Amino acid sequence: MWETLAQAVINGLLIGGIYALVSIGVTLIFGVVKIVNFAQGEFVMLGMYISFFLATQFGIDPLVSLVVSMPVLFVAGVLIQHFLIRRVLGPNDMPQIFLTFALSLLLLNLSLMLFSANYRTVHTSYSDEAWHIGGLYIPVAKLIAFAVAMALSGLLWLFLHTTDLGRAMRAASQNRDVAMLMGINPNRVFAVAFGTALALAGAAGSLLMPFYSAYPFVGQVFVLMAFVAVVMGTLGNVMGALVASLMMGIAESLGIQFVGADSGLIVVFALLLLTLAFRPSGLGARRGR
Amino acid sequence: MQTSGNMKWLWLAIGAVVMLALPQFVTSSFAIDIFIRILLFSFIGVAWNLMGGYAKQLSLGHAAYFGVGAYTSTIMQVNYGISPWIGMIAGGVVAMLASLPIGWLCFRLRGPYFTIATIATAQVLMLIFLKFRDFAWGAEGTTIPNLGSAPLMMQFEEKSSYYYVVLGLLVVGLWITHQIEKSWIGYYLVAIGEDEDAAEAIGVNAPKVKRDIYMISAFLTALAGTFYTQYIYFIDPATAFSFNVSIEAALVSIVGGIGTLWGPVIGTVLLETTSALLQSWLGSSVGGIQLTVYSLILMAVILWRPTGLIGFATDVYHRTLRRKPARA
Repeated sequence: MWETLAQAVINGLLIGGIYALVSIGVTLIFGVVKIVNFAQGEFVMLGMYISFFLATQFGIDPLVSLVVSMPVLFVAGVLIQHFLIRRVLGPNDMPQIFLTFALSLLLLNLSLMLFSANYRTVHTSYSDEAWHIGGLYIPVAKLIAFAVAMALSGLLWLFLHTTDLGRAMRAASQNRDVAMLMGINPNRVFAVAFGTALALAGAAGSLLMPFYSAYPFVGQVFVLMAFVAVVMGTLGNVMGALVASLMMGIAESLGIQFVGADSGLIVVFALLLLTLAFRPSGLGARRGR
Repeated sequence: MQTSGNMKWLWLAIGAVVMLALPQFVTSSFAIDIFIRILLFSFIGVAWNLMGGYAKQLSLGHAAYFGVGAYTSTIMQVNYGISPWIGMIAGGVVAMLASLPIGWLCFRLRGPYFTIATIATAQVLMLIFLKFRDFAWGAEGTTIPNLGSAPLMMQFEEKSSYYYVVLGLLVVGLWITHQIEKSWIGYYLVAIGEDEDAAEAIGVNAPKVKRDIYMISAFLTALAGTFYTQYIYFIDPATAFSFNVSIEAALVSIVGGIGTLWGPVIGTVLLETTSALLQSWLGSSVGGIQLTVYSLILMAVILWRPTGLIGFATDVYHRTLRRKPARA
């Protein structure tokens, strides 16, 4: 019993690291640019396909292809911010919500046309490896993914707290108008925030590839998790999103273990609805304009 | 648009005659099918637009009510032999009741997080119907027993009969929207849509107005669910609670003209016609093409003409015919 429980917690924690990369991206964009990126999951999907094609065409290990997927998605994020998002920033919700939503639909359905709905996997030397520690089973690929995800989150934290650009981003997220008065260039800050968030999504995709299948709809699982984690962890808060993501991973894994294999999502949605019912104050209230 | 009263009635009368006569002249089953889809999604769009368009509560979870309506009437029909005409109203009432707790949860959030919460509620309902097999046939769903020609059970041999049923639904939806548009509630809704805090400050009871309009919107959406199930003789959680229903409800309104009476109708005509043309050119073999095109149209509308096709048409009308600047 205790071993099953501990195993479920470990499984959840490891996948929670990936959720954290996606959630931190969502919350970073929300905090700085003040929009919700509905397409965040599709960028995880693109990260996975980048790693998949590098692995099958050139034999590059998915973990190594991180150095391709992250910069590619960073640039994509800067361009999307500059050419699309920038044009809809303002007090009106509708264009913001439906622009990123349209982007999500577009990327998903383009992938469906280009890559088909087939599941793509990459088999690496460590895909099936696992450590057995006192009856517990720790898959190496997931452990590496978790470790890299935590390292990237740590680097982001350092970036936000020690560099001028990072400080500018935090300032812009706390009060955009005052930050602009202090001489911060909002377009530059927004572009870096959007690019960084997409780079994190790309990293999540590459890290997933050794043990997870790529298919056009794969992002939806992750983005739903991320939205719930971001609501639970208070909108716009990077640390909150990280902790909530790990909790979500564990909650989902416990649900799968003790309620049934297909109940992971039910547990997650139930958590969202419970949060809304009992802790709504800190949630919508922080939505500044 | 500033058409005079008499002109408006003339146009409406012409429109009514054309719509009523259409199935008598167009007999191809493929074409009737497209007309029915256009009318159905116009109606769902009209229902969505009450909430999403006028009050700017941008829901992406209207499939919840579509599914609730569909399941209520189907359970009543298959298990108890009750006519779907009664089931349709019952489904609407159940959807209204369901909208109360759902609204209570979702209205705690504003803007994009309201949208996400509505997605979650529709997904939860779908998962519930998938998971609890003894409740309503689980994932396999069920077929509706075919009784041949049974108008009292909402079953017809002629496709054109379905056309008239859904045309009737659309007329009801447009009439309700028109009544709301010119009443105080309509102004309250627009005020809430513009700025909820400011609306409350001048004495609009925003939570109550939003709750009421959400109930009406849910009721109408549920009627569409019953109709659709009767039309395709089949129900399962994936079609009844399909995310695509939620998406299309919002898309047709935004593309046509959000918060306008005819916007959802015009948007549906454009999107469904495009979709039908794509299907006849490319066949249904290319998965994803329909939504790829929809998303491109949606992006184009948002970036260049957020008031939708109606706004675009009004602009052109004023520029070319009236030579007057368009109203904002």
